[in-house]
Amino acid sequence: MAGLSISSVTKRFGETEVLKGVTLDVADAEFVSLVGPSGCGKSTLLRIIAGLEDPTSGDIAIDGKAVTGTRAADRNLSMVFQSYALYPHLTVAENIAVPLRMRSLSAVQRLPLIGPFLPGAKEQRSEIATAVQSATEMLEIGPLLDRKPGQLSGGQRQRVALGRALVRDPAAFLLDEPLSNLDAKLRVQTRAEIAQLHRRLKATFIYVTHDQVEAMTMSDRIAVMMGGEILQCDAPSVIYEDPSNIRVAEFIGSPKINILPVELANTEMTLFGRVLGYITEAAQAGIYQLGLRPEALKLTQAAPVVTGTVAHMENLGSEVYAQIALANQTSRVTLRAAPAERRNLRLGAEVGLGFSLKDGLIFDADGKRQRRVEVAVTHEREVA
Amino acid sequence: MAEIDASIAARKPQEVNRQARTAWGLATPALALMFLILLVPVVVAGVLSFTNYSLGNSGFDWVGFKNFDRLFSRSTYEKMFIATFTYVVVVVPISVALGLGAALLVNSLGRIGDVYKTIYFLPVMATLLAMAIVWEFMLHPTIGVINQTFEMSCGTILEVIPFLANGCADGFPLWLGDRDYAIWVLCFIGIWQGFGFNMVLYLAGLTAVHRELYHAAEMDGAKSAWERFRLVTWPALGPTTVFVVTISCIRAFQVFDTVEAFWPQGGGPNKSTYVMMFAIFEKGVQQNLIGIGSAITMLFLVFVMFLTLIQRWLVERKVHYG
Ligand SMILES: Nc1ncnc2c1ncn2[C@@H]1O[C@H](COP(=O)(O)OP(=O)(O)O)[C@@H](O)[C@H]1O
Ligand SMILES: [Mg+2]
Repeated sequence: MAGLSISSVTKRFGETEVLKGVTLDVADAEFVSLVGPSGCGKSTLLRIIAGLEDPTSGDIAIDGKAVTGTRAADRNLSMVFQSYALYPHLTVAENIAVPLRMRSLSAVQRLPLIGPFLPGAKEQRSEIATAVQSATEMLEIGPLLDRKPGQLSGGQRQRVALGRALVRDPAAFLLDEPLSNLDAKLRVQTRAEIAQLHRRLKATFIYVTHDQVEAMTMSDRIAVMMGGEILQCDAPSVIYEDPSNIRVAEFIGSPKINILPVELANTEMTLFGRVLGYITEAAQAGIYQLGLRPEALKLTQAAPVVTGTVAHMENLGSEVYAQIALANQTSRVTLRAAPAERRNLRLGAEVGLGFSLKDGLIFDADGKRQRRVEVAVTHEREVA
Repeated sequence: MAEIDASIAARKPQEVNRQARTAWGLATPALALMFLILLVPVVVAGVLSFTNYSLGNSGFDWVGFKNFDRLFSRSTYEKMFIATFTYVVVVVPISVALGLGAALLVNSLGRIGDVYKTIYFLPVMATLLAMAIVWEFMLHPTIGVINQTFEMSCGTILEVIPFLANGCADGFPLWLGDRDYAIWVLCFIGIWQGFGFNMVLYLAGLTAVHRELYHAAEMDGAKSAWERFRLVTWPALGPTTVFVVTISCIRAFQVFDTVEAFWPQGGGPNKSTYVMMFAIFEKGVQQNLIGIGSAITMLFLVFVMFLTLIQRWLVERKVHYG
């Protein structure tokens, strides 16, 4: 097991720049997720780490040793592919054994008929069988050992692919959207199992996904990628509560964060022409964006900050999401409410919304987080 | 209740009968055509192979297994079997291997691959009869390019090669007229003509190989091209290979036009290229010995059927991964 470091990696395919200088350090035994929308270059970055693709510039180091010129087979990394990439003509047991056979048996020892009778081959083969055995026990795929991949369900194939990755002891595991071909229920279950596997193996994991829920639930750290760059890399709670960029804030969290335009003039911050509060420190006047998570919005009758009508409701049982069309505005905001508040949220009902300013995230017009801009509520306006 | 049950039970068989009749009615034209066009000729050939029928004769005699007996006792037919099997055994493996090799090379190229593809496929598209004339020219013992090229080596250092030394001393082979060379020339032209076809089939098969499997193989430590070929390409080409080998075998058994073009009468020097198809043509058509012609045809069908059965068995047993 080992740490990984990626420094200023760029990649172009012809004219298109897919990676624009990615730097990321992964500690030993850490679980880092690369999350971002489709096409942002996650797989490309993972394949560059694996050595299946050469970076245009930049370096990769595994355990402190630069591996930029080293071919994939010599980097001692394991990879799980999105399509699982199992060898269709081999049984489950043979599939899992391939990485060991390729590495520990010589070409002659691997020959079909005479191979097993060569000196040393017997011990090697029984070692491989033991390793395959323990990998399959860990993943509970013992009964499937003699089947071909074509006879397995998606979830079973996924386990075999995992088994093939963990049968040897690699420096790190690279997983490229391993759950995206599973149905929703199996995905939740396998998610937990992969996280457990990580704790058990104490191995370095780099996990690529476009699903922010997977990233949030499994990772030690999340690297949010967009347009070929890592926008932020932090612990899941930091990414959610303290995003440094409006695109990170919008990508992480479901339903999406509400963004409201606010204006800063003199020392006043106004929303739709109403003064929300006063900034404590001098900041540049202009248009800013106020981000409010759905749970930051509260239904209130007394002195609402904004009012609107309920345009759409989603009742999930344990919580209710309501989309509120703001009065005199084209935009909508999403509100998370407790089931008890449901009777106030009939479709078309007029509601008032309030929020606490300390829950608001302030971004500038370009989407950069403005942590310095702090707004204090004054005596005259009590924001519920 | 009982009444209703009874009426349902009574109506059901009628219904089924009517459906069955309609089904048969609809299938009859196709079945009849299939019977007439595909099966009847085979049956007729089978029947005729036990007779001494000749076209134009008003009647014929049953001769039992005499035709088949002849096939397995006369030296002409022994030569026929030797020529046919030599051709099949040489042409099939080499043209399959060359087709696979060419497909792998062409597949690894980018745009230039298309040029190679077209060039290799040219002999398949060209009419063999027309190409045979060119080959005949080139192989001519005295004025042909091939022997003239060999003669240029006489007196040079190249004479250390025994073949050239012998040629310079005693004259170069007559090729088409030489009983030791004729069958090999035939094989060579068969390979030259056929491997492009196999290449195209393999190229189609290669497009179905999942690219990520090569990446998985690399991650699993398959470092050499040979290891990747063994682990990914060759198993993925299993179904294609079975098909290519079967098709090549059948085509090799059917070789005829080259023989007919080079040796219109007789089937080569000392009958060394007297292949089955040519024998059928000579006996059945040229000499109007329908009985013996039919007997060879039946034997030919047995071989082809046997090959097809092997293919079916392999496809179902060995190379079906689904
Ligand atoms: N081999 C390639 N040639 C050209 N463009 C590529 C290649 N591989 C990926 N791309 C492009 O790079 C971008 C990022 O791809 P990828 O890393 O697969 O994204 P994702 O984040 O969805 O995994 C995409 O726009 C894709 O079209
Ligand atoms: Mg991807």
